[in-house]
Order: sequence, then structure tokens, then C-alpha cells
Amino acid sequence: MDRTAFEPTPEYGPAPPSATEAVAARTWIDPLSGFEPETPAREVPASAYLPPNTTWNETVAFKPKMYPVGRLNFFYKWPGHGGRLWWRTRYWPTRRRVLNIRGEYNRKTMRREKTILDKRPIWWTLTFLALLVAPAWVPGDAFNTVLSAAAVFGIYAAVNLCWMLVIGTAGIYSLASYAIVGAAAYGATYLAVQLGLPWWVLPAVGAVIGFLFGLLIALPALRLDGFYYALLTLGVVELCRVYVIQSRTFGSATGGIYGAPSYLPEGLSQSGQLLWGYYASLIVMVCALFLYRFVNGKRLGRVLRMAPEKKEAFAQACGVDYLRARISVFMISSTAIGAVGGFYASHFGGASPNLFSFDTLLLALAMLVIGGIGRSEGAVTGTAIVVFIDRVMIDWGPLRFVLIGMIMLLVVLFLRGGLFGIKPQFRTWRDKKKSERRASRSEKGGEMLPEEATETANKDEIYYRRFDKMQRDFLKRLVSKEVIEEHRTRPLGQHSEALDRLLIYFRRQGQIDKYAILVAEEFKAYRIVALSGHRGTTPRVVEDRTYGSPDEAYHALFMRRIQDLLES
Amino acid sequence: MNWSFVIANAITLACIYGTLAIGISLTWSSLGLVNMAYGFIFALSGYGAWLFSQHIASFAPLVMAAGILTGALGGVLVCALAFIPIHDKPNFPLRGLIATLAISLIGNQALLWQFGPRSKSLPRLFGTWNVNIFGVVLTADKLGAIVSAIVLLSLVLLWMRSSRRGLEIRAMMMNPHAASIVGIGVRSTGFAVMALTGGLAGLAAVLLAQTYYVAPFSGITPMVKGLSIALMGGLGSVPGAVIGAVILGINEALTSTMLGGQYVLITQFLLIIVILLIRPRGIAGILDKAREA
Repeated sequence: MDRTAFEPTPEYGPAPPSATEAVAARTWIDPLSGFEPETPAREVPASAYLPPNTTWNETVAFKPKMYPVGRLNFFYKWPGHGGRLWWRTRYWPTRRRVLNIRGEYNRKTMRREKTILDKRPIWWTLTFLALLVAPAWVPGDAFNTVLSAAAVFGIYAAVNLCWMLVIGTAGIYSLASYAIVGAAAYGATYLAVQLGLPWWVLPAVGAVIGFLFGLLIALPALRLDGFYYALLTLGVVELCRVYVIQSRTFGSATGGIYGAPSYLPEGLSQSGQLLWGYYASLIVMVCALFLYRFVNGKRLGRVLRMAPEKKEAFAQACGVDYLRARISVFMISSTAIGAVGGFYASHFGGASPNLFSFDTLLLALAMLVIGGIGRSEGAVTGTAIVVFIDRVMIDWGPLRFVLIGMIMLLVVLFLRGGLFGIKPQFRTWRDKKKSERRASRSEKGGEMLPEEATETANKDEIYYRRFDKMQRDFLKRLVSKEVIEEHRTRPLGQHSEALDRLLIYFRRQGQIDKYAILVAEEFKAYRIVALSGHRGTTPRVVEDRTYGSPDEAYHALFMRRIQDLLES
Repeated sequence: MNWSFVIANAITLACIYGTLAIGISLTWSSLGLVNMAYGFIFALSGYGAWLFSQHIASFAPLVMAAGILTGALGGVLVCALAFIPIHDKPNFPLRGLIATLAISLIGNQALLWQFGPRSKSLPRLFGTWNVNIFGVVLTADKLGAIVSAIVLLSLVLLWMRSSRRGLEIRAMMMNPHAASIVGIGVRSTGFAVMALTGGLAGLAAVLLAQTYYVAPFSGITPMVKGLSIALMGGLGSVPGAVIGAVILGINEALTSTMLGGQYVLITQFLLIIVILLIRPRGIAGILDKAREA
């Protein structure tokens, strides 16, 4: 028999030994030699000792590289007794607390601790305080520019927040918001000029105009959806622009209609007027924020968010009257935008066709997109960024629009939810990477696949297979030239530990396809067969060789087993 | 009222806006992208043709070819920026719309920055003669616009019907997902479609520049008109776009003669709104078969 054919070759041999696994040959002394002290002990070269739990330890070891930060959300743990949480005040008309604080008992430190779960109210408050005191820090030479820009920011932020109710909460792409502002501002100015209305009527007039306009554009929204509606509203904007440019009553000659009463008290200095305008716009923005919160965060917002476009049928099946919800949000949003339009007329003393231009629409959309659609903080921050670039960096000329466009393009290409969506997007990306790495780490040799495991009634089988796989991995590493040589010289009797482990494993296998030795002719011819494992079925002949002695046959059978082990 | 003038105007405008509308419609139906940068491509190709006529040659076919090539280049640019990076990402239709809007903003302002606000005029490509057909007096630019638009559009539609690339584009229009499964490259087809539609915008720009001027923002109104025609005809339908173009051309000519030029857009949008309220997917669009996006 050609024994070298069964020697482990590098293709399917055991994994190359690591540094801990010493290859240095050592000798194994047969312990049974102690019974015959006269003769020298039988010594057999053997490979180094390999602890049997090696594979287990390697399998369960935690290999991925760990970084100290960013795996878990970090919450600062505030000390203090949990019985009295800081703020339990609930503010009308909601049942919400001012700060959402969770109190818990830490079993390790044996103390109560508190966690602020939602820090956004803190950020809003800080931002609002900063906006209140901001005029004191504006440099003197830029005071006029910055403060008028800040007033524009307040008004635009208010419009964008109301618009966000339609685009973000309801998911209807209406592009006609600034047309509503324009219509309300034009109408309010016209009526104020004609009837001599005081300034505080203007927002109310604007609200009425906005309501009517909203009714007009809400009707097509019942029949059209998606882009068809967006493009239709784009057409409405263009229609308004052309009408206003050409209409003589609305100042086609003067480039707008002016003469609306201002809300500023008489006899203010210029900086006083600017400050007054700034704080008035800020109040408008805060009102819009409250409106956003009370529409988006309450029943209407919930209903609208569960009935987005293309899910109408599902919403209807759930008993949600989405048409009614959409019309009401349209009406609320348009009325509010109209009121802001009336304020706009009073703030700027009139209205210009610029409100209807394609560029205004683009910039407004940029404000929403940069901050993130569907978030009030996104609307406010996006407005701040765009208004700052547009109104303060005037020296840049047309390039500032290029800058806004670049920011918008980058945000749209790389971010899913605008600037405020970066955090969740990063978390999603990190989880994806983590699971990819985990998938690349897991090995499946001989183990059950998940779908197979669910089909198996005997769950022991799953764990048996897993154990068996690990054991085979370990036994593969025990196979060496020394072990084979030891078996060849003495197939029966006392063996070294490595060989013993291998043989015990081989003997323990099931009867099906187990190798056995058939005595063809005693002391002359032995053959290797494989048992069928079924009573009455004869063993099958594995090969057509015969072996001259039992030891030779034993060893050939052993080599066959070794080969099967290494190939598994 | 001069009926011959009305008809001539109607046909000319229908040809030019129909070209734009077919471009927008093709982009939408094959790529699922509403190309709001079409106005920018339009203005860009106008400037391309103008630069060519100023610096290289003012031979009419060459100027037209320069405009078309610039438009195709602009289309490829828009595709590379707004389609290739995000076409397989979530929420693509909306992000694509916003990306093309951003490109339009950047491009138009860059044109303004580069060329200044003063409008440029192209040389008369078709000469200054008149022709009288059955009592309808057609000036050279109108006849040239009609003939070149119809010839080039028919060529494009023939190419779409007969060539391998056209077959791929039509497959994408039917079902982009299935097209990609049978081995049609979405990205390469995207480039082809955008180059083609950009070329159409270039053609429309050169033709419209015969009556109007080339200016940084000259593309906005034609784009809005093209969009509304495509919308009215049914996004994704070429015959619908042709019908829409004819209806709007007739409406524009009729309104400008009967009511006055300032009412054109008003009647036009009222017409579109009425048509869309009656048929929400446009004249030729079928509600269930419209592209899901």
C-alpha cells in the first residue's frame, strides 16, 4: 500500500500551527512500559501537546477590534433621588412634561440616577435665549445688514415651518407656499391702501386670503398626487407671477405694491426700528413653532404621517379619513402662511413680484432640504443658513447662490434627511458595517443553517452538530506525521494522547458507512468494507485491494478515516 | 384678427415647446427623474450656440449643431451629478428633483456670473425671407423652426424605434427594473437618454433664440411650459406631449390675438389645471400604467 498517499497534504491539511502550538517534536513514553522495568521504555516521537479546549477558546474569542467610543448612545447620568424628578410639570394643553427624564436605580453604584432622554427642549431654549440677546453682539458696521437679514430669517422661518406641515407631515409636495405669502401680502397691501386699514388687521386679512388660496390649491390635491401636484403648484406660482407683473392695480409699473401700514411705533431711530422688526419677526417664528408642534405632534400629525402617499388604501382600511386630514392641514397651513404674509406686508410696507419668482421658490426649497424635511429644527436651521448666505454675504454676488446650490446638491446627494438626519444616518451606516463584518466572521462548516435549524424537531441535533464541528476542527490539528507513523508501527495497544483522541472519535461514529475489515482469507487477505448500517443489507466493498496482515488493514482503514476527517 | 398669423404662431410654438416637452417626458419615463435643470440646459446651449457663432463660425447648420451638442453635454453633466450617484438610493424621485433644482440654481447663477445679465442674440439662421402657403404668411425663422423641429424630432423618434439604444430606452420606459434584469445598463442608458434630451433642449434653445434672446434665466419659462405640456399630455407619453403641445400652441396663439399677450400664461395654466382635474395623469396617461415613483 502506498502510504504516502494518505499523508496530510497542505491542500486539506490542518491549519498551519501558530506560535503557541510548538511543532518541536517531543517523545511520548508508553506508560505501560512501567510494568516491565527490565526492558527500556518504549518511546515514540510525538508532536507537542495541544490542549483539547484550544478550538473552543478560539471560536468563542471576541475578535473584532473595539474602539472606546461610539458604540452606545452616551447619556449623562445625573445624580439625585428618583422620587422627586426635576420637572414633573405638565404644560397645557398637552400631557407632556417639560423635559422627558427617566429615573432609575443603578445596581452597580447602588444609587438612584436620572437620564434626560430628549434634550431637544434644552437646545430650543438655549437657541431662543441666544437669539434674544444676539443683537448685542452684532458688530456695529454690519448691524443694519445683519438685523434686517435676521428679521427676514424670522419671517421665512415662520413660512417654512407652516410649509413643512404640508411637505413633511402630510408628504404633499406643494410648491405654492410662497405664492400664498405673495397673494396674502398683495391682497393685504391692496386692501390697506384702498380702505385705510390699521396694521394689526393685515395678518387677519392675510389669513383670510390664505384660507381662500388654500381652498383653491387643496382641491386639486384631492385628485392629483406626487409630481403631478408639485408641477401643478409650480404652474400656479408662475400664473401668479405673470398676473402680478402685468396687472396695473398690483403695480406692474412700480415693481410691486407699496404703502401698507407699518407696525413700528412712531419716532424710532433706525437701529430701534431694526431691533423692533427683529423681535417682532422672532415672535412670529415662535408662534409658527407652536403651531408646528400642535399640528405635527398631536392627532392630526399622527394621522397624516400614517397616511403618506401610496399608502392611502392602507390608511383608509385602518379607518383613517386621510382626505379630511389632508384638507384640514392644508387649510391650517395656508391660513397661517397667509397671516405671515399679512405680517410680511406690514414689515416690508408692501409686496413685490419677487415673492413669486422661481428663485424664491428654489431658495425656500433649499432651506427645507438643507435642514431636513420633516423636522422643525431643520426648517429653522436651514432658513438661518440660506438667509445668512443670501442676505449677509452680499459681496459674493451671484456666487452666493452658487454656494447655496452647492450646499443643497451635496446635502441631497449624500444625506437622506438633511443636516439633522446625519446622526441617524451615521448610526444606520455603522450598524450596516457592523453586520457586514459579523457576517464575514461567521463560519458554517457542518453546522446547520438557520432555516434548516428551524425545520429540525430535535434541537439537540443543532448543538450536537456545532460541538461536532468544533471537535473535528480540533482533531484535524492533531493529525501529524508522527501520529500516522505511530499508528503504522502499532495499530493496537496503548497510544499517545493525540492518536488516542483520534481513534476514540473514529470509533464513536455511527454505523452507517462505518469502515470495517473483512477477513477474506485468514492471515492472508483482508479487505476494507463499509457497513450499511441497516440490518440485512450487506456491507459495500470500498476498494479492490487486499492486505496481507491485520495490522496493515487496520492502518489502511485508519488512513481512510484520517482522509475523510481532513476532507470534512 | 389675422388668422394666418395665429396659425403660424401656434404651429411654431407647438413645435418648440413640443420638443422640450418630449425631452422632459422621455427623461421622466425612462429614468424616473423630473429634470428641473432643463431650463439650465436650455440656457447653456443657447450660450454655447452664441459663443460658437461669435468665435468660430456663423454658418447656420453648424451653429445649430453647436447648440445641440452643448445641450447634450449639459444633459450628460446633469445625469452625472443628479442621476448616477443617487438613482439606486432611497427616496430617489424626490432627491433627484431637488438635485436637479440645485443644479439649475447653480448653473443659472454661474451663467449670470460668467456672461452678465445682458441678453445675447443669435444670428438669423434661416435668413429673412417670407413664404406664402395657402394665404398663410410664414417668415423664415418660423418655417425654419417648424421644419427643423419636425425633421429632428422625427429622426429622434425613428432612432428610438429602430436602433439598439432606442430599444433599450423604450425598455427602460416600460419597466426599468425588468430592463435592468434582462441586462440593460441603467447608467449607460441614463447617459444616452440625458444626452438625447439635452440635445432636444439645445435644439429648442437655438430655435427659440430666433425670436427671443439668450439670457441666463431665459430657460425658466420654456421649462415651465415644457413641463406643463408634458404634464398635460401625460408624463412619459410622446403622442400625449405632441397633443399637449398642439393644444397649448393653439391656446397661446388664440389668447394673444383675442385677449392680449399678457393673458397667455393665465389661460394656459387654467387650461392645464382644468385638464388635469379631469384627467389626473394627463391626456394620454393611464392611471394604473403610469410609472410608479
